[in-house]
Amino acid sequence: MKTFLSTIKFDYLQRTRSYSFLITLCISLAIAYTFVPEPNATYSTIRIADHVGYYNSAWFGYVTAIMTSIFLSLIGFYLINNSINKDEITKIGHITASTPITNFRYLLSKVLSNFLVLLTIVCIIFLMSILLFFLYNDGYSLEILDFLIPYFLIPIPAMFVISVLAIIFEVIFRKYSIIQNIGFFFLFSVLAFSSSNQETQYELDPFGTKIVMHHMEETVRDIIQVEEQTNLSIGYVLGNIEETQKFEFNGLSFPVSFIASRLMWMLLGLILIVIITPLFHRFNMKEKLRNTISTPKFLQKENNQEIILSELKKSNTDYRIFSLVKTELMLLYRKGKRWLWIINIIGFVLLAFIPMDIAYPLILPILWFLQVHRLSEISSKEVYNNVHHFAFTSHKPLRRLLTSQIIAGTILMILLALPLIVRFFILFDLLSNLNIVVGAIFIVLLGSTIGIVTKGKKLFEILFFMITYANINKIPFTDYFGGLHHNSNYLIYLIMITVILGTIGFLTRGYQLRN
Amino acid sequence: MKLEIKNVSKKYNRNKYGLKDFSITIEKGILGLLGPNGAGKSTLLKMIATISKPTDGTIILNRNNILKDANYIRKQLGFLPQDFGVYPNLNAFEFLEYIAALKGIGGPNLKTKIQQLLEGLNLLDAANKPIGSYSGGMKQRVGIAQTLLNDPKIVIFDEPTVGLDPEERVRFRNLISDLAQDCIVILSSHIVSDIDTIADQVAVMKNGGLLSQGNQEQLIKLVDQKVFETIINKEELKNFKDNHIVVSTARKVQGLSIRYISENPITGSTSKKANLEDAYLYLTKIN
Repeated sequence: MKTFLSTIKFDYLQRTRSYSFLITLCISLAIAYTFVPEPNATYSTIRIADHVGYYNSAWFGYVTAIMTSIFLSLIGFYLINNSINKDEITKIGHITASTPITNFRYLLSKVLSNFLVLLTIVCIIFLMSILLFFLYNDGYSLEILDFLIPYFLIPIPAMFVISVLAIIFEVIFRKYSIIQNIGFFFLFSVLAFSSSNQETQYELDPFGTKIVMHHMEETVRDIIQVEEQTNLSIGYVLGNIEETQKFEFNGLSFPVSFIASRLMWMLLGLILIVIITPLFHRFNMKEKLRNTISTPKFLQKENNQEIILSELKKSNTDYRIFSLVKTELMLLYRKGKRWLWIINIIGFVLLAFIPMDIAYPLILPILWFLQVHRLSEISSKEVYNNVHHFAFTSHKPLRRLLTSQIIAGTILMILLALPLIVRFFILFDLLSNLNIVVGAIFIVLLGSTIGIVTKGKKLFEILFFMITYANINKIPFTDYFGGLHHNSNYLIYLIMITVILGTIGFLTRGYQLRN
Repeated sequence: MKLEIKNVSKKYNRNKYGLKDFSITIEKGILGLLGPNGAGKSTLLKMIATISKPTDGTIILNRNNILKDANYIRKQLGFLPQDFGVYPNLNAFEFLEYIAALKGIGGPNLKTKIQQLLEGLNLLDAANKPIGSYSGGMKQRVGIAQTLLNDPKIVIFDEPTVGLDPEERVRFRNLISDLAQDCIVILSSHIVSDIDTIADQVAVMKNGGLLSQGNQEQLIKLVDQKVFETIINKEELKNFKDNHIVVSTARKVQGLSIRYISENPITGSTSKKANLEDAYLYLTKIN
């Protein structure tokens, strides 16, 4: 048992002692800060009709617990869904596979260390919610149980379920990270938005939020005395703050069946791990690389057994970056499974034929998001693949290599958006085309800069996901490609941000190269 | 061709140095860098290769301070790091083309040159397969090939023979000897046999400092008349090690055959001809 706990402990320490996890914690703090809007803020997070709760302990505790459960379930999955893959990359998996640890124990240790990682973030948010209470409360005293109870019953079991799901997706879909990402998003949407609001079925809600939201709605219905459904909104809703009315929300006493259901969800998670254990590869994975790649036809053996230096052709200097751009494009093309290009082709065709008001604001960001695994390591793959010793001792690596990576990424994104660009060109809509080009450069630079700064890819993957999710939901300030804004002022604003982003990336890489 | 490393230090924190006040001058030929793990060999090589910067000191190549003008050395450098990776989805030909582009090499001769390198390193048959499917030795040979792409004048090999089979090691040694006719070749290893047959100069490092530098004869002279062989019982080994520098042990019917370095040999010992490995062990143990 002690050794089992040690494996969890050291796995957890290894994952949390990283610069990117520190950044993740900072971002979690920043997001948690927005969970309960400050009194004069122009947005709301949980709102029932025109009502929000008085800022008492219960409101802070329950609202932040609900927001944590929903948002961290979604984002947390993407944060932790590479724990087995990381063992494969670092070759720790091969050592593990040769030890007596059983597959179930190994998977369980991964579930628990995933859970600890998410729990750390929950704790940070919990502390932030108490801090927010002291900053904004409406003269109420702190009731610590109003914080503890919802956190224990809502996000914590949900985080366990997410930890289990991350392992299940990794075991079943192995290295197909894009399928894991899309598959989980689909599952999350089904679970979050399609589960019944029937009071008797709250036990079926893995996030544990519906029972509280239903209670809030009931309370507001009692106040405004209407029978029909009240409109409860959750998420970041802008405007409409002037008409806000306040109501007293004092939490709720959770039924025993609900408490038992939270434990049952965790138990179900363990059962699922037992079920998928036989499917675990135990790092006996055959690398499926292409058998052959075409090479120039002149390669014919002349049976030279040694390198004779005097016979080697002399090198010519060529500092142009065309060859680098070509290889970077090739690396982008070959990244990931070839058959996944079918999805890109489908998106490409959709951009050509479906109405512009769907193609531009909806299909384009989704199609671009599908390149997330390419963009996330566009400027960090040297480090990731341990090629940086070659790359960073090359001729002017900052000016030549980084530039070629950004150019290659931009070319890819523009090529994917080509049908839309052609359609706008036919309509003489230059502004939209400029928006698309700037958007392509922006998202490539975002991936590049975050990769350079964090030396990892996870943060960009999560951020790009959040941006795309916001794009699909038409949240204006995440519109990086002009899908919602059609004016030149917005384009100038986008260009400025893009330039700043590029400058940060180049300066940081320059600093890294010098040091 | 002259590379001067002057009073170079690499400080990691208040008490930890990767290199401390290290100075050496390297000229055309092969310099073998010997030292135990953690001696600072890779730190030194990374500084020469401009990957890492020293905290103090200067590195001058042909009167050019490469700490100020890194591109001066990069244009003429071939570097094989100790632990390097590849892009697994590229084949050997594409990978070498990519490295050539990084180095600023192109032109009509490039493809032929890559072919010559692949053929000379026995990689032509596998040249159209992704490097991700290569064995460790094959990847190492791709690494060797990339060092030669730009007709380097300074070649740095950090533990180059890892993964190479005996036949490839011999071919590699021949290649290095050939290279050293016109270049500075710095060859780092903790395997003495990789260095003793080919190095013109040998530098022995420990704890971030230079213990000794000279040609092989000069170093071997340090242990001249100090190397002996004797046979002892297995039980005596621990006590023996406390009093002498043991180079090697071998089991024999009579007991343990010990090759050792000492100024006061035990009775019954026979004097042996010293070699570079004896000198290396002597220097690293007494310092």
